[in-house]
Amino acid sequence: MATLDLTSISKSFGSAKVLHDISLAIEDKEFVVFVGPSGCGKSTLLRIIAGLEEATSGQIFIGGDDVSDAHPVDRGISMVFQSYALYPHLSVYENIAFPLRVQKMDKPEMDARIKRAADILQLTDKLDLKPGQLSGGQRQRVAIGRSIVRNPRVFLFDEPLSNLDAALRGDMRVELSQLHRSLDATMVYVTHDQVEAMTMADRIVVLNGGRVEQFGTPMELYHHPKTKFVASFIGQPNMNLIPATVLGTDATGLSVEMEGGHRLVLPVEATSVATGDRVEVGIRPEHVTPGDGGFEIEVNVLERLGGVSITYGKLRDGTRFCASLPGDARVTEGAPLSLAVAPEDCHVFDASGDVLRRKAAPALVA
Amino acid sequence: MMDRYTKLQTAGIYAAIAVFLIFILLPFFEMFMASLRPLEHLFRSPYQFWSDDFSFQAYSDMWVTVPLLGRYILNSVYIASMVTLLTMIFVVPAAYAYARLDFPFKNATLGIFLGVNMFTGAVLLIPLYRVLRTMGLLNTYWAMIVPGVAFLIPTGIWLLRSYLEKIPRELEEAAYVDGASRMYTLRRVVLPLATPGLIVVGVAVFIGAYAQQFLFAITFNQKRELQPLPAGLFEFIGYQDVTWNQMMAAALTGILPVMLIFLFLQKYLVAGLTAGAVKE
Ligand SMILES: Nc1ncnc2c1ncn2[C@@H]1O[C@H](COP(=O)(O)OP(=O)(O)OP(=O)(O)O)[C@@H](O)[C@H]1O
Ligand SMILES: [Mg+2]
Repeated sequence: MATLDLTSISKSFGSAKVLHDISLAIEDKEFVVFVGPSGCGKSTLLRIIAGLEEATSGQIFIGGDDVSDAHPVDRGISMVFQSYALYPHLSVYENIAFPLRVQKMDKPEMDARIKRAADILQLTDKLDLKPGQLSGGQRQRVAIGRSIVRNPRVFLFDEPLSNLDAALRGDMRVELSQLHRSLDATMVYVTHDQVEAMTMADRIVVLNGGRVEQFGTPMELYHHPKTKFVASFIGQPNMNLIPATVLGTDATGLSVEMEGGHRLVLPVEATSVATGDRVEVGIRPEHVTPGDGGFEIEVNVLERLGGVSITYGKLRDGTRFCASLPGDARVTEGAPLSLAVAPEDCHVFDASGDVLRRKAAPALVA
Repeated sequence: MMDRYTKLQTAGIYAAIAVFLIFILLPFFEMFMASLRPLEHLFRSPYQFWSDDFSFQAYSDMWVTVPLLGRYILNSVYIASMVTLLTMIFVVPAAYAYARLDFPFKNATLGIFLGVNMFTGAVLLIPLYRVLRTMGLLNTYWAMIVPGVAFLIPTGIWLLRSYLEKIPRELEEAAYVDGASRMYTLRRVVLPLATPGLIVVGVAVFIGAYAQQFLFAITFNQKRELQPLPAGLFEFIGYQDVTWNQMMAAALTGILPVMLIFLFLQKYLVAGLTAGAVKE
């Protein structure tokens, strides 16, 4: 059992506090992704879990044992670094063997483990080469190989794919997901790429400014973002946020008037706002359809991707608005375009950025 | 890359290199010419660059004029090698500590090392003499080795530290996560990657040791058979005359081992300047 529990982890570098009271309970065999903007503390948190950095306060439990002061090996973790951190003077075999040589493992056992890792990672015919003779993807696989031979309880990855080109990244994403399934291990994965987060994670931790904004499944984050930050971070293209004023609340929901005069009644739990409050209405570009729904935008840029057409424009009051329409939608750059959105697809955020819970949203939250 | 310069610029660059090389190499050339001339030709007036009876006579006569010459050359190489070896033994862990560890007074002590470097041995000769006498090391090889090591350690630390700092920290972190101790990491990861740097520093220290022998030899050592070459060359200065041609021949012969080392290590020296680019 390799559960990973963090309780009230804080970290300061000198006077700069970079992690604030982070508590997480990660389950056995779960694939958890830390995602967030640059500098939000993802790497720092991962390095604290690895034992490369000491938390200022808080505790770490792996499989229920307090490992806050343990050496990385005793924690049973292994780590894959963004730069791969391969030893350039050693062959692929020796690179993968490094943790086993440190343990002084016998040769037959070591050979067997390396062979198994090389099989899984398709490196069998590369074992005699030096890292410098490998492609980026192969180097990445060597780094992963080095991390799996020790049979750790928890794998830590710090942006392992960010040095690869887009196509290779896609392939490696699939390979890593398969690896996770075949190894049956707990994995913690850091990235700032929301596509990686959405596609690979069992659950995602969204970090912002050293705090956990939300911890949940990808679809939970998509349908029920707790904060404006999460809402605009998850989903591609980003959610549109339109300033609005509360007109009133009743049993059916919240009626608002958006900048530009358009009125909507939105089915959300409106207990925390009062008439006259300023809120923001969040509309995902993919929830917009062409049609006379009261939104009119001036199309500035049109990107036809084939299956979809992404339309960037401005509402009448100047708020930027993006719509993701069918591939062959009749849109022309420079022309006005009428759009509609279903009220139950809208999100509402109060002035502090917290969401008003949607009543009608998909019941994906178990 | 190659066509970055116009023909004129290329010519200019080569001209500058030529001037520079001539400036550096001319003394050696003149030494060589002097060593080939019969002694009386050296004092001809007006000075004649070209003599008609060049010979390698001085190269065999010098062993007779100064019978211990071979011994002096060996002493020089021995002292410089010992200094290099001992210096490296001290410099490697120290430079690593300065490159990677945090400890109190790190920058202050580094500054002091640099400061020590500014003193030449000369100003410290008298205190050093007393120290060596108290320790009973006068007139031994150690009298020339110990001060040599002491004066070269700061240079070595400064050179090697900057080299070690360029080795990506993540490599060491990866080794640490995999359970390797500091010493194991130093041995298996850091030093192999720093080999070009170690060679560069080793050669610099060796040359430094070779050059500074003279001062220590003439002050701390009276024993003829322990003298290194630079001190031994004095024996070519006789009561009647100075056998300049033999002295030049001996000096050139004495430099030979250093030159051979250089030729042999040249490719590492060049590699040392470009290596270290470990990750893309
Ligand atoms: N050793 C350190 N000393 C001082 N400050 C540090 C140190 N390491 C990180 N920080 C600070 O901590 C904050 C979080 O850094 P961290 O590397 O965890 O960010 P990140 O989320 O991984 O960002 P990125 O996506 O760019 O990798 C940053 O503001 C950074 O400046
Ligand atoms: Mg990072």
